[in-house]
Amino acid sequence: MWPGLFLQTLITGLSIGGIYALMAVGYSLVFSVLNFSNFAHGAVIMLGAYVGLALASKLSLSFGIVLAGSIAGAGLIAVLNEKLAYSSLRRRKAPSLYLMISAMGCAVFLENLVYATIGSRFYAFPEFFGRQVISIGGSSVSLLDVGAFLFALVAILGLHLFIKRTRTGIAIRAGVSDMTMCSLMGVDLDRLIAIVFLLAGGFAGVAGVFLGIKYLVYPTMGWVTNKAYIAAVIGGLGSLPGALAGGLILGVVETFVSSYISSVMRDVFSFSLLIAFLVWRPNGLWGTDSEEKV
Amino acid sequence: MKKIAVVLAAVMVFVLAGAVCAQEVISIGHTVSLTGGASMWGQSEARALDMLAKKINDAGGVLGKKIEFVRYDNRNDGVEAVNVARRLVSDGVVAVIGPAQSGNSIASAPVFERGKIPMVVTTATNPYVTIDQRSGKVRPYAFRPCFIDPFQGTVAARFAVTDLGAKKGAILYDVGSDYGQWLAKYFEEAFVEKGGTIVAKEAFRTDELDYRAQLGKIKELTPDVIFIPTSQKEAAMAAKQARDLGIEAVLLGTDNWGSPDLIELGGSAIDGGYFVNLADLADPDIQDFVAEYKALFGEEPVLPNPVMAQDALIMIVEALKAAGSTDGEKLADALANLKDIKVTSGPLTINPEDHNPLDKPAVIQQVDVANRTFKFVKKYFSVD
Repeated sequence: MWPGLFLQTLITGLSIGGIYALMAVGYSLVFSVLNFSNFAHGAVIMLGAYVGLALASKLSLSFGIVLAGSIAGAGLIAVLNEKLAYSSLRRRKAPSLYLMISAMGCAVFLENLVYATIGSRFYAFPEFFGRQVISIGGSSVSLLDVGAFLFALVAILGLHLFIKRTRTGIAIRAGVSDMTMCSLMGVDLDRLIAIVFLLAGGFAGVAGVFLGIKYLVYPTMGWVTNKAYIAAVIGGLGSLPGALAGGLILGVVETFVSSYISSVMRDVFSFSLLIAFLVWRPNGLWGTDSEEKV
Repeated sequence: MKKIAVVLAAVMVFVLAGAVCAQEVISIGHTVSLTGGASMWGQSEARALDMLAKKINDAGGVLGKKIEFVRYDNRNDGVEAVNVARRLVSDGVVAVIGPAQSGNSIASAPVFERGKIPMVVTTATNPYVTIDQRSGKVRPYAFRPCFIDPFQGTVAARFAVTDLGAKKGAILYDVGSDYGQWLAKYFEEAFVEKGGTIVAKEAFRTDELDYRAQLGKIKELTPDVIFIPTSQKEAAMAAKQARDLGIEAVLLGTDNWGSPDLIELGGSAIDGGYFVNLADLADPDIQDFVAEYKALFGEEPVLPNPVMAQDALIMIVEALKAAGSTDGEKLADALANLKDIKVTSGPLTINPEDHNPLDKPAVIQQVDVANRTFKFVKKYFSVD
């Protein structure tokens, strides 16, 4: 149709995709190590958003501190979640289906806990940066979206380097390929898994704050992560570059479907994509070998 | 065996006591969203009703009996609303207040009709709440104290064309909501009739968060005004995203915008937007109510639901008095013939033909973020 619309759609799609990618990383990290889809990740994102919201609106802290607080808060919640809900199952070597069911239970539990304690009303973050809009060839994007996008890229790259270059990263990769062998070699598995959840939770905190600023904060906001799950599947569950690429691809494709076909068809399309990938390419675009992850 | 007999006897006593007690009070059902996206209004609605019921009971009740509420949370969900309706019917309530939303009301109406229990909805403005869409006939047990959407949509369109001077209009609405779908249609019809052109009509699905794909299309068509018939949550997000895309058009909404947190949620993006509402905090008619509510609960009521719920309760009370009975059929007949009664929002007469009020005005309010308030702009009594 219009050339302006094409560029605008692309920019919007990338900005949505950046957030999907941030959320997908959390799924992929946990999946790569424990081999199950942690559906409680969405609830951790939601709690991260509430932590950030409390710091921002009750204590009026600056954006950087809010983000750091949310990362720390969501990271701890994720670790706690693992200790309470998954670790005993893990030690008993329960099938990953049980872990997944436990994760779903956690998601519903945490959501209802927020309903019962904080309530169901909607909240918005204060406007940290005002409303600054950047114009690119007639298309517009807010400064926040550009910032969030770049931050997502840097954070995911940082995580990638951490896993490839550091001792702990090597331990995580060892755990990914063989957990038993890894523990025989003297790696403290509980500590290793706690670190993995801390990292996933940290990313959940970032995603929660960005989601909260872009949209709103409310108990069921975590359900948007089913899109992140699709992104993780497209990229290959367990693959970090895959999570990034999957998120961006899904964001852009969705926005184009909304703009050029029908916005009502968008989710039909996204979930068809999920089914198609699960049927024909369960390892996604990047996870070519299911043994090699992260 | 003896133990069982004792237990049975105890149960019998309770049942009998319950039956005796039931005669002492008049049970009125209340189907309301105490949780879920509409809970802000629902909670406020429940408070306002309890406040008024206490006053009525302190003054001697109705027909010599006290009124009490049987209240269930419908979570603003169509399926749950029907479950609640069934429960209320089996509880044997005399009449029902609620639901507040058109979709839930349309889903609940047949259940109450079969149970022959009059339902007085609070803020459900869709015409098909009181009229059966298939037969075109009035639903004998459905009533409301609020204006209806064709009126609201027409008021919005007229305001856009005459007061804002809009020529090109766009619509962004929720395809999953009866409320939004029909208002989009009424606005479009009235806007075109007044000489404007609708350049874009874009839909999103319920619970979707990002409307930038739709707004991107709207932006290309440079409308003067964007009509967004949604609740405050979607309106706030749509406003933020529209401004992020550099859209300068005036934003125009409907009565569901009218929640105080619209300003908090929408921030600077929603500033200057207009919307149609059922009641205005500054309306002289409701000052006593607002003062009483504030004194009791320490905060302002979340309009318009508390006011409309009180109106619904007063309608039921007046109808009970007129009918002199709690029989559903007689009560429905009395409700249909209510004339010149005094409700919280002003005077009220029900049109027996369609069970809608004859005389409910609509106000236009403007969002003023700096002063954190909705400014009164204009009041429409009719659009003829």
